[in-house]
Amino acid sequence: MKKLMTVVVLGGVALVAGCSDIQSSRDLANPNLSGKQLAEQVCSFCHGAQGNSIDAQFPRLAGQQPQYLTEQLKAFRSHGRSDPKATQYMWGIARSLTDNQIAELASYYYGQIPTHGAPTNTTLVAEGDKIFHNGIPATNVPPCFACHGADGHGHDNFPRIASQHANYIIKQLHVIKYTDERPQAAIMKGVAHGLDDEQIRAVATYLSGQS
Amino acid sequence: MKYRISSGMRAMVRHLQWVLPTALAVTTTAVSLQASATPIFARQTGQNCQACHVGGQFPELTPYGRMFKLTGYTLGQRTKLPLAVMAVFTGTEQKNVGAAPPNSAFSFNTASLFAGGKITDNIGFLAQYTYNSPSTGTGPFIGPFSGQAGSDNTDFRYANRIVNDSTDLIYGVTFNNNPSVEDVWNSSPAWGYGYVPGSTNGAGPGFLAPILDGGLAQQAVGAGAYVYWNKTIYAEISGYRTGNGVFSFLTQPQNPPGASQTYIAGTNPYLRLALTHDWGDSNAMVGYTYFDVNQYENGSSGLTDEYRDNMVDFQYQYILDPNTVTVEVSDINETVNYGSAGSVSDTNSLFRAKASYTYEAKYGGSLAFFSGTNSLNNYGPSMFGNGTSGWTPEIFWIPVQNVRIGYQYTFYNSVGALDLTGTPNYYDTAQTLPITKPGDYNTSFLYVWAAF
Ligand code: HEC
Ligand code: HEC
Repeated sequence: MKKLMTVVVLGGVALVAGCSDIQSSRDLANPNLSGKQLAEQVCSFCHGAQGNSIDAQFPRLAGQQPQYLTEQLKAFRSHGRSDPKATQYMWGIARSLTDNQIAELASYYYGQIPTHGAPTNTTLVAEGDKIFHNGIPATNVPPCFACHGADGHGHDNFPRIASQHANYIIKQLHVIKYTDERPQAAIMKGVAHGLDDEQIRAVATYLSGQS
Repeated sequence: MKYRISSGMRAMVRHLQWVLPTALAVTTTAVSLQASATPIFARQTGQNCQACHVGGQFPELTPYGRMFKLTGYTLGQRTKLPLAVMAVFTGTEQKNVGAAPPNSAFSFNTASLFAGGKITDNIGFLAQYTYNSPSTGTGPFIGPFSGQAGSDNTDFRYANRIVNDSTDLIYGVTFNNNPSVEDVWNSSPAWGYGYVPGSTNGAGPGFLAPILDGGLAQQAVGAGAYVYWNKTIYAEISGYRTGNGVFSFLTQPQNPPGASQTYIAGTNPYLRLALTHDWGDSNAMVGYTYFDVNQYENGSSGLTDEYRDNMVDFQYQYILDPNTVTVEVSDINETVNYGSAGSVSDTNSLFRAKASYTYEAKYGGSLAFFSGTNSLNNYGPSMFGNGTSGWTPEIFWIPVQNVRIGYQYTFYNSVGALDLTGTPNYYDTAQTLPITKPGDYNTSFLYVWAAF
């Protein structure tokens, strides 16, 4: 047993001596950490490897539009985006990120290949498909593709919504519809207002299965 | 059955007179302090407690909370004042205490000071120093509180994470003073249910718990190395020895006062293996722990008894706003081989299961089951059973993220014949006590738990 202790202690010392460097730092206040490193060392805990999260609490970031992602991170940093989950999770993460780190994070995620879900409820998917391509004329909902792009991949500050987790889309459409916690999404407010819960579920389910 | 519930309700009403004003006072303080003072790790990461604690239900860790701990408490930015305090107020009432007064008690139970957080990019720690209030205690088995401060759970870590497109490897070393306090799953003994200070759940009266279940907490110190690979396999090997000499700061002073330091011989191995999987909004863990300890029968030399513990545990979590569901199950089986020539060995086992639900990280409830048995080979025949088992339903409310108010009621199905030191208890020997059935031990427990 003495031997075991010796091995453990020596092993520990070797580890400490060998690899204490910035490569594996998770310091959110160190401007020298690159965007890629932050993404791998910190963001991946919630947003998954390469921005493909498993858990729907955490939005997929892979393939997200860099301009949109940059604006969101700045909005977290300035407290401009204040929905509850943004406040609880992202304000702290973003508080000391530099503009440069944000730009690097945005280009890192844009460069990753998004994975998507495989929704099984075909009725919902079909209804969602219709909303995405045709909107809902009766309640003045424009087709989503008009702003989010033909495949829902987004452009500039119009986010990619294809391949996003359904539960995240549902949550955000509720935030946009009922609150002013995402002021940059004002243009979406009218859209969200014309959607009832069932339609929100349908379009979210459809989008979660798109590549 | 009906009588038991109504007795619990009466106790609750009686306690509410005390608890509500106190709860309000604590809550008000919490709200006013929140901006300037939340616990260390929340300040370090700038996040809400529920990022790391499932549904805000401290101390149960979310997947992210586990990663935070495994990477050595180093994520975030160093805080100016790496301190936090925790206080617990409790009210306890046992249904029938026989001849042992006092029964109902509402007390300031414990206060802890925490220090911790990021030291360097790879090194961090969490240390707790606890003061137990000088209350007289409430039942023979809750034990007198000491009115003294002492060292509590402490964990120092070095950790590194190698992550790229194909691999995610976390490795590190831990130095701590409680076997399993370094663990990140809440089915492990140090973090399992019964975590509200002063609550009766866990082993209960009349039962001798396996040594892995807190038997060496703040008695031993250990060092270990661990790896966590691709969020799939966790493996750890640690060795524990007596926390004396230069390590005394992690074990002294002993609580309660007068208790003597437990001495174990040499370095004793602790092994931990866990398989984990995440899918959808769920994650699960199946684990195994082995602990083999040689403890001196008396003082720090002479004969030793060997405690060999095997634990199998399981944890499941579902987390999706506004709901969370968690399930934890653990089964510890222990064999004790005594040092004295000719003595037969004994077995001790402890099974625990708990499920809880939270809504909006504000309201929650849980149901826990526990069952412990002792073989009693060395205690002679007993007229009482050889084990303790029971159920604890609980409801709780989290008015602000750092305050939790809860009520538990523990129903005993059976109560064994041993007291916590392993000698036949008063229940067995003092037949004058009018405690006649396990249900007499049923206990109401109310708490207000706050951390800033
Ligand atoms: C503790 C978990 C956690 C960590 C770590 C984390 N995030 Fe987040 N992030 C969240 C949550 C939760 C949301 C959803 C917020 C909401 O619902 O408004 C989010 C949202 C976002 C969004 C908005 C996405 C969208 O589609 O609008 C971006 C961008 C983002 N995070 C980037 C990052 C980056 C970059 C990092 C690392 C520097 C990071 N996050 C680390 C939990 C986390
Ligand atoms: C008039 C243009 C426009 C139309 C039409 C539109 N959107 Fe949007 N949408 C936006 C903009 C701009 C944002 C980004 C707002 C921000 O920066 O906060 C956005 C944001 C979103 C978000 C939040 C994304 C995230 O990652 O947090 C979702 C979800 C969304 N839109 C869904 C839809 C759906 C579904 C439709 C069709 C029913 C739709 N949008 C139609 C402009 C539009």
